Amino acid sequence: MKIHIDEDKCTGHGVCEAIREDVFEVGDDGVAHLITEELTEDMREDLQDACDQCPTQALRLEG
Amino acid sequence: MSRPTNESPRPYDPVDLSSRAFWAGTDTERETAFAELRAKRPVSWHRPLEDLLFTDPNDTGFWAIVRHADLVEATKRHEDLISGEGILMESLPPELLEAGQSIIAMDPPRHSKLRRLISKAFTPKQMKRIEDRIRANARMIVDDLAPKGEADFVAECAALMPMHNICDMMGIPYADRQKVAHEAAMPTGVSDPDVVGEGDPVQRLFEAAGYLHDMAKRLAAQRRDEPGDDLITALAVSEVDGARLTDDEIGAFFVLLCIAGNDTTRQSTSHAMKALTDHPAQRAWLMADFDGRITGAVEEFVRWATPIMTFRRTAARDIEFGGQTIRSGEKVILFYSSANRDETVFDRPNEFDLSRDPNPHVGFGGNGIHHCLGNQLARTQLRVLFDELLHRLPDIQAGEPDLLNANFIHGIKRMPCTFTPQR
Ligand code: HEM
Ligand code: SF4
Repeated sequence: MKIHIDEDKCTGHGVCEAIREDVFEVGDDGVAHLITEELTEDMREDLQDACDQCPTQALRLEG
Repeated sequence: MSRPTNESPRPYDPVDLSSRAFWAGTDTERETAFAELRAKRPVSWHRPLEDLLFTDPNDTGFWAIVRHADLVEATKRHEDLISGEGILMESLPPELLEAGQSIIAMDPPRHSKLRRLISKAFTPKQMKRIEDRIRANARMIVDDLAPKGEADFVAECAALMPMHNICDMMGIPYADRQKVAHEAAMPTGVSDPDVVGEGDPVQRLFEAAGYLHDMAKRLAAQRRDEPGDDLITALAVSEVDGARLTDDEIGAFFVLLCIAGNDTTRQSTSHAMKALTDHPAQRAWLMADFDGRITGAVEEFVRWATPIMTFRRTAARDIEFGGQTIRSGEKVILFYSSANRDETVFDRPNEFDLSRDPNPHVGFGGNGIHHCLGNQLARTQLRVLFDELLHRLPDIQAGEPDLLNANFIHGIKRMPCTFTPQR
């Protein structure tokens, strides 16, 4: 399972960060970054939520 | 007032959303009109707004979006429905719009690049970092209020909280804060002589914009020499597409932050205080488990207040929307106050119910690219201020509000409050 962040679309709304603060963090560059590589099956639902709720459709869950 | 000479491309809806009388009326009267449209003609075409200040001769009318689902869809279709042609229902001289709107009236890619410059300062994690500072401001405000026993709730409480917090974030000195907040209230109060005074309101707006732009320019120059950990520094030193923002761009962003940061939170606070006074059972329910219930209650405060009643978009091309064909260039108005009373989404929408869950209100927008940058900040401020206020002054009651006459901000100008003085 992988998350792809489209840095051209993301505007740092932080919706993803609010949903999973252990996975996403908006950086000084104003876009979201992954702060862990370890994405486990039990996170799937939250990660899918983050993708669906991202206002700029910048997130994609793969695998 | 002269009406535009242009022919309307189609008949106007019989429900009036355009007259001054409509906007000077009560919330209940307006809600009756919206309820009819939501039920029968959810995407409807209306005669041009009876403008106050500036008449756009090409204006033929506007589309009204009144249902919750349609408002959310409209916010998300940012390529079809753009913001760059203007975001207010009211027409204003173009120079003024340029001076005060910044990213909220931009489209991607410029919008995204500018928003990113300061988005980090508004994230949920950042809010946790500055919560102590926000609480200190709430304590200071309630400390000053506590011995008085009676006060104007707006000026002495609701307006101060957002003013200090946004000024802290921008690095504005204490001495300038009242004046900055006062000038920033001009654009949203322009339709009300009580706010802008008796002179020419457009002239008054230019003065306010001039003052705020000078302030931004001065602060930006100072922060380039001595960078701080604040929003002005972020705007002054960053580059977008290889160039620094101009003073005009920084000025416009500053004006947007001053307006958006002050006005909306102030109105939510005042409307919430009034609603808590009018609904003692709701208040008692909240106080019975404040920490457990305030987060959800804040959502109802914002739904109930709906501080921003309207925003505008413009069709970038001919589009199909809700069964209608909207032609390229036509104005589309999003009615947040109507969407937040949509009976297909909210049970008993006209009741103030702090236990509402879920509460998918659109007070901060419909979760599109312009979704409120300050939503976490606003939520934190409301939670912390009411914590201090309702615990320190448990019998505080609001009197009758004096309402702002406007079609954009759902405002309370003044509202007396009384309580047993403390200390
Ligand atoms: C209860 C308080 C508030 C309410 C109800 C509110 C409401 C809104 C709404 C409805 C929008 C437009 C959303 C859309 O078009 O989809 C917006 C945008 C915005 N708000 Fe707020 N707001 C509040 C507080 C704040 C605060 C405290 C700030 C602090 C700076 C702020 C800054 C902004 C900015 C900069 C935008 C434009 C964002 C963009 O265009 O990308 N707001 N707000
Ligand atoms: S929710 Fe979307 S836009 Fe917001 S920070 Fe996350 S990826 Fe970026």
